[in-house]
Amino acid sequence: MGPIIGLDLEQLTLRNALDLAILIEEEARDRYRELADQLALHDTPEVADFFARMARIEDRHRSELFERRRTLFGTTPSSVHRNQLFDVEAPGYEAARAFMGVRQALETVLAAEVKAYRFFEEALPRVMDPEARALFQELRDEEVEHQALVKTELARCPEKADDSEAYADDPVAQ
Amino acid sequence: MSEPLAAGDFKSALKPIWCPGCGDFGVVQALYRALGAIGRPPHEIAFISGIGCSSRIPGYTTAYGFNSVHGRALPIAQGVKLANPDLLVIVAGGDGDGFSIGGGHVPHAIRRNVDLTYLVMDNQVYGLTKGQLSPTSPRGRQTVTSPDGSLEQPVNPLLTVLAYGAGFVAQATPADMPGMTALIEEAIRYPGFSFVNIQSPCITFGQEDQQLKAHKARMKPLASLGHNPANQLAALDLARAYGMELYTGVFYRNPDPPPTYDGLIRQRQAELQRGEPRSRAKVLETFRKS
Repeated sequence: MGPIIGLDLEQLTLRNALDLAILIEEEARDRYRELADQLALHDTPEVADFFARMARIEDRHRSELFERRRTLFGTTPSSVHRNQLFDVEAPGYEAARAFMGVRQALETVLAAEVKAYRFFEEALPRVMDPEARALFQELRDEEVEHQALVKTELARCPEKADDSEAYADDPVAQ
Repeated sequence: MSEPLAAGDFKSALKPIWCPGCGDFGVVQALYRALGAIGRPPHEIAFISGIGCSSRIPGYTTAYGFNSVHGRALPIAQGVKLANPDLLVIVAGGDGDGFSIGGGHVPHAIRRNVDLTYLVMDNQVYGLTKGQLSPTSPRGRQTVTSPDGSLEQPVNPLLTVLAYGAGFVAQATPADMPGMTALIEEAIRYPGFSFVNIQSPCITFGQEDQQLKAHKARMKPLASLGHNPANQLAALDLARAYGMELYTGVFYRNPDPPPTYDGLIRQRQAELQRGEPRSRAKVLETFRKS
């Protein structure tokens, strides 16, 4: 089962594609907010702030897509439901760790961007509508730009920034 | 078709305090989605739990919730369902809560067949109390209470509930979110006692081979093996592999679900109400005879 259920990509129109893209950004935004909350609660403030920043970035992407959709199609209800998406761009819950470092957080973001790129890349051959295809191509290419940005940040980040194991509960006799 | 409720409609303002990376985050997310698909509003749902990390789930939903006493979630849930049969009742807890401290309640909840769904987040360890052996810990597992390795044979939750006659038995992992969501939804829709064993990794005290990365590599969907969920004997045979194979999907779904206890109670009440109202003297006479 892929990250999208109950949606026929071959029948995707520009409106459907925009609806889907908005929800992909929304899902990622919400997950980053959750991860930020988790890490703030577990005394990892630097990474919590980083994930909160990621949430704001995803929210900005969502708003941009939402505006395009409103300009083209007004306020007609979304044709895609959030329940149809499973972590298209959102990082998995399992990626978070108490006391994780910024480097590990950046790697988590990079994996999420790669995942999103793969989704658009694999979906493209099945999308028939030319306008929807163009949007998917644009979004796929943006994921490449995002990956480059994260890689630049990673290059600036010290190699040993993750000290999650140093603070982990001692696994007695394990 | 009406617009399904969104997962967010079931998410409370209380932020989970589970360790970041805990499998229970995936479970609660799948639960929100399954409830959204079912479409019953939060005020028609009750979550009952015992004690443990996973038993915190009622607080993280907008439905009614009762984070109750260790091991006593099932009897309380049965009482809730019988008192208000219109409620959709979901029981959540860990392997220790369900199969050790509350183990005695499992067979009776199953044989009564009260219409409720029991979700066990099986992490093979007591995580909340910092990593002791639990009833499903595999033999040889080293923990703070078994520094040289466990000598005990673990409980097999799947085999246990199948042997007691549960009408719906499934296993899931957060490594397959769409699959887990679909299983939880199917379990809730089953008319009778339904059980889902969720392999939910403990990120802090669990072993490497129990984490989601390992699950993704190991899991074998029963549907892909051609298993017929109506075949109870085949389900029992597959359930024997608990701890060795990670089968996901429906092990057993009774194709002809028997009446539920709550349904029979309503039927009995209706029958009694149809007859002549009995005077107090007649009621007392019934007891005097016996």
